[in-house]
Order: sequence, then structure tokens, then C-alpha cells
Amino acid sequence: MWRWVIEGAGIAVQLSLLVRGLQNHQFRRYYFFYTYIASVILASAVLMTVALRMPQEYYKWYWPLQLATLVTGYGILLEILNHVLAPYPGADRFARISGLVAFGVIFCFAVIAPIVFPRLSTGTVIEFERDLRSVQALFIFGLLALIFYYGIPIGRNMKGMVLGYGVYIVSSLVSLAVRAYAGHSFATIWRVAQPLSYDASLVIWLVALWSYCPNPVPDPSIHLEEDYEALASRTKIVIGMIRTYIGKAARA
Amino acid sequence: MIQLIFFLSIGVLLFASLFFLARRNPRPEGSSGALIEARQALTALQGGLLPIEFVHRVFAPDDWEYVRSEAPAGVRSLFLEERKKIALLWVDQVRRQIRSLRHFHRGSARSYARLNPRLEMELALSFAGLAIACRLLQAVVYVGGPFAAPRLVNAMAGAASHACKISEQSLAFLNAAQLGVLNGPSTGRAAV
Repeated sequence: MWRWVIEGAGIAVQLSLLVRGLQNHQFRRYYFFYTYIASVILASAVLMTVALRMPQEYYKWYWPLQLATLVTGYGILLEILNHVLAPYPGADRFARISGLVAFGVIFCFAVIAPIVFPRLSTGTVIEFERDLRSVQALFIFGLLALIFYYGIPIGRNMKGMVLGYGVYIVSSLVSLAVRAYAGHSFATIWRVAQPLSYDASLVIWLVALWSYCPNPVPDPSIHLEEDYEALASRTKIVIGMIRTYIGKAARA
Repeated sequence: MIQLIFFLSIGVLLFASLFFLARRNPRPEGSSGALIEARQALTALQGGLLPIEFVHRVFAPDDWEYVRSEAPAGVRSLFLEERKKIALLWVDQVRRQIRSLRHFHRGSARSYARLNPRLEMELALSFAGLAIACRLLQAVVYVGGPFAAPRLVNAMAGAASHACKISEQSLAFLNAAQLGVLNGPSTGRAAV
């Protein structure tokens, strides 16, 4: 019963997100994100209908729909790349290379694995989803490491998007790992913990995306090429000085 | 059990990075203000560098050998104390320079489309290694005195030289012809 209340609340928050997105014209700005939300609403509605009318068929529907939302969830990562890293081509290139690798892994898992292993047991499906979530978790971790390392500014909308998705991935990964380890004894908690953590992410998204807040971009008034040259010249001199000092010290 | 620990570790890692993201200072670091600050820091470091002869003296044992053989105990301990302070200041100076260089490099590299990820990772490791070496040297000098770690100074020199080489490679794209002009006597290219 509680599970359906939590999932119902989740659908209500998702609908609010969509409505708010349409009101603020954010749908066009964050196209991939809202496509993901729409796909999750659709999947949830189908799963709820199946669970109520044909409960024995639930897991038959759950896995393909879960995979579909997992792939559309990658759109959130694309959104982050497009909005946060696009003004920084160097960091963007770095992230896209690692993103492509992560996407390749997810795609192979999602498309090729079901063809190779068509009759996966329930236990294997859980382990499979756990593995996919861990790939996403590692990709988000890499993305955040890049953002921290290069000191890239991040606006409220994007910060909320990363936090919300990250919270969902962490809670999914942890609950799936414990579920795979503990077996059916954890199933009851897992069925509640999964949708509850997703609701928490939805609330984060609703608050963060309530109004449009553009991501900070580098000051266009700076003549970047000129600054590069000036800074590079100075750094070159500093490198030389460090070498001289350390060389002297080493010989001392 | 090992599998469980592995996946939980990934979860903890991501959760920790999300926590830092939530607490992160919203100040846009890529603004013109930040670039100007970086330039000012570089200028200050260039202007405040210590004379080369002085650096040579800091870690050279010649003075200490002379004071130990000629001066009374009070003078010897005062000499060691003062030399230790100077050595610590020198290491701190080098550490700040390296930090400035890293800050500058990250600030400029993130905007450069032809950035080389492998080179960047190598550079990040070199900078991290240097920062650790500087801290270690500070600790050793603090505990054992200014002449306690000649090998560590050498190791730090090697690491710094490596980082400088990679830095040069990564900055070479900017304007090789113009940078060539800068390789005058002030850069001390032949020192290492």
C-alpha cells in the first residue's frame, strides 16, 4: 500500500515538474532532462496499470521499461555536458571522451546483453541493474571530479539536476547492492526505498528548476586569446624560475 | 561480501562528491575577476622570488660545517634555528609557486579545445606529487633541521622538473614562435 502512495506522490511531483517546465519555457532549454521525466512518467503509469490489473506480469514489464528509462536518464548527463562544460572546450572534450566510453558500456549492457542472455533470472536482473547504476555513478563522479578540478562554475538549475540524479543513483546503487547480497529478506525494504529515494530526487529537481537560472559563463569581455598569450608568457617565465631554484637546491 | 563492499564504496565516493558539490562556493571561478587575480598572483610571485645564490646557500652544509667547528654552542643552535626558518620559508615559496602554476594551468586548459586528456592527467599527478613532496620536505625540515633531507630535495627537484616539462608541452600550442622569444636569460632554461 505504502509503495503505491510513494509512487503516486512521485508521479504527482513529476507532473508538477513538467507543468512548471512548460510554464517557464524550460522544456526547450533542458530538452533531454524533460524527455527523461516524460519517459519515467510513461513507464510508471504503465507499470502501475500492469501491477494493478496483471500483477503476475509485473516483472516482465519492469525490466524493459527500467532499461528504457535508464538509457533516457543518460540524457541528464548530456544536459550537464551541454550546459556546464560547453563554454570550456577543453574540459568538455575530456568529459565527452569519458562519457562516450560510459555510454558505450551502458549501451552494450542495455541492448546486447538481453540478446545474448534472453532468460535472465530475477536475481541476475537485480545484479545487472546494479552494474549499470555503478557505471552511471562512476561517470557522474568523473564529471564532478572534472568540475572541481577545473574550478568550473555551476548554476542552480544544473547543480540541482546533478544533485537530484546523483542522490537517486547513489540510493539505487546501495539498495540494489544490498538487495543482491541479502536476497529476498531485503525485498520489502527495497520496494519502498527505491521509489522513496526517487521521490527525494524529484523534490530536489522541482526546487532547483522552479525558475530558470542560467549557468554562469566565462566573461565574454575577456579577449581569451590575448589573455592566454599573456598568461602563458608569464607562466613560462615562472616555470624557468622554478627550474632554476630547484636545480640550485638539488645541487646544494 | 567483497562485491557488496565494492559497490558500497562507489556509492560512498559519489555521495561524498555530491556533498562537496552542495557545499561548493557559488562564486564563478571562471570570471574575469578570477583571471585577473591569477595574473596578479603570478606577477607577485615573479616579483617576490628569492635570489638564486641565497637558495643555493639554504641547503648547502658549508656554512654549518664552519659554524660547528668555530662557534660556541649558543651560536650553533641559533644558526640552526635561523637556517631552519629560512629553509621552511623557501619550501613554502616553492609550494606557492607550484600552486599558482597549477591554478593558472587549470584556468586556461579548460577552455582549450585541443586539450589532451592523457597529458592533463599526467600533469595533475605531477602537481599532486610535487605538493606532497613540498609538504613532506616542510615536515622533515621542521623535525630534522635544514640539512636533514638532501635526498628529498633532490626528489622534489626531479618531480618539479618533470611537471615543468609537461607544462611546457601543454602550453606549447599557444604560440610557439612568441614563446621562443621568451627563452632568454631570465628563464634559466639550462639550470636543471
